[in-house]
Amino acid sequence: MKYMLIIYGNQELWNSIDPAEWEQEIAAFDTFNKKFYDTGELLGAYGVADAAATKLVRLTGGQPGVTDGPYLETKEYLASWFLLDVDSEERAVAIAAEVPSAKARPVEVWPILHEASRETGVDMGVV
Amino acid sequence: MATTTEDLLRELAPQVLGVLMRRYGGLDTCEDAVQEALLDAATQWPASGVPDNPRGWLLTVATRRLTDMLRSESARRRREDAVYLATPPAVLARAGAAGAVGSAGSAGEGTPDHDDTLVLLFLCCHPALSPSSQVALTLRAVGGLTTAEIARAFGVPEATMAQRISRAKQQIRSAGARFTPPDAADRDRRLRAVQQVLYLIFNEGYTASAGQDLQRTDLTAEGIRLGRMLRRLLPGDAETAALLALMLLTDARRDTRSGPDGALVPLAEQDRSRWDQQLIAEGTALVEQTLATTRALGPYQLQAAIAAVHDEAASVEDTDWEEVLALYELLAKVAPGPMVSLGKAVAIAMVHGPAAGLAATDDLADALGRHHRLHAVRGHLHEMAADPAAAAEDYRAAARYATNIPERRYLERKLARLQEPGR
Repeated sequence: MKYMLIIYGNQELWNSIDPAEWEQEIAAFDTFNKKFYDTGELLGAYGVADAAATKLVRLTGGQPGVTDGPYLETKEYLASWFLLDVDSEERAVAIAAEVPSAKARPVEVWPILHEASRETGVDMGVV
Repeated sequence: MATTTEDLLRELAPQVLGVLMRRYGGLDTCEDAVQEALLDAATQWPASGVPDNPRGWLLTVATRRLTDMLRSESARRRREDAVYLATPPAVLARAGAAGAVGSAGSAGEGTPDHDDTLVLLFLCCHPALSPSSQVALTLRAVGGLTTAEIARAFGVPEATMAQRISRAKQQIRSAGARFTPPDAADRDRRLRAVQQVLYLIFNEGYTASAGQDLQRTDLTAEGIRLGRMLRRLLPGDAETAALLALMLLTDARRDTRSGPDGALVPLAEQDRSRWDQQLIAEGTALVEQTLATTRALGPYQLQAAIAAVHDEAASVEDTDWEEVLALYELLAKVAPGPMVSLGKAVAIAMVHGPAAGLAATDDLADALGRHHRLHAVRGHLHEMAADPAAAAEDYRAAARYATNIPERRYLERKLARLQEPGR
């Protein structure tokens, strides 16, 4: 069963962490990632760049228009996600509890329903 | 021809690995050596033809591969090397070939091959491993599938699957597991773990994702193949026979389980004329045979017996629901669990009416309140009780909790049908 763990945040939050602590936090994430890559349960771990680097693409009359955005200065946004393949929801929850930032902030655990086949592009949930 | 070679290789894989394990131990290196020998055979045999003694050939090549691996390993393993290297390879190969008289897969009970494959299964399903690791290791070491094939079948990157398999081997080593049969006291529990793993393999293929080109790694077929193998190894074990029967009786309905758009078709609406009669006959015969000889009815025998009652009925109405209910009552005693209680509630509804069935699901809210199946069953029962408003609520909840698309589509369709005006 595949699950996505999601953590949210914003620049203000990250700026408030002191550098030494930040380094420790990064190291803790490295350890977490290594641990679950090694068990064969973590399929991938990703984090987004700063919101300031984000572009918005809109089609207007079929033409793509690109602007900066989405300017989410105060609201929290998707920061990092971890794709898991585990035996049970209990296991996904147990791994979520080990995400280093879980000490301070909640981690969302989403079951994955759709996955596109690498060979055909077809949703593998539909045979 | 290619399929025949592959079938032969996969039949021989656990036997050859068993011999290596018995002589040298160390699942990790022995297993790698066998995989390399299988790869050599798969690339060479189509051109050169299958050797007269394929098992001896594989054993010789795998032994040579193992020698190379052991030689190149670090000082950590030097002591084991010394024992091994003291034996001239020619002697090893001859010893291997001696056991190879007779055709592949014909090893009867009591022969080393027979015991080796069983011990290998016990080792791969070691209690120190998580279920998914047991499954992966069994498919590779006993099933003879490559890591890439297993990874594709489970929809994970090959690196992830490789990691899972190598970790499983590591865990077996650190658990101090040896290549010996489990103690008599432990044997039943370990055999149940093996059966559970084969059933997991089958079910993964039956209920979950499957890409288009999964012909070779079709997990349903692999579950049945391994089920047949286990039955050959333990012909007197009723639960093993019943596990095979359960897989056959379930697989018989495979083609009618989903509609053209992939939505689930429930048992009641399946086109029974398209069920595979050959599989049903084989499964039913196995069930009858085990029921006639068994002393204690185990969970697989009861589940297979329930499947047989369904498969033999011409329609839902023709189903002997009283017998299904009696079997569920036994199953609830032998292997209690919320899913069994839910199946039993359906049988109660069919025998005593929907109100009785609904009442039987009342206690399940704690265990299954977030599981789609409880809500789906309650939806059906509310429909049976002519309460479409309650049924719609149930189907809505069921669709939200479904984590499988065919089931979700089916539930959404049920909901839509109930909400059609002027129904």
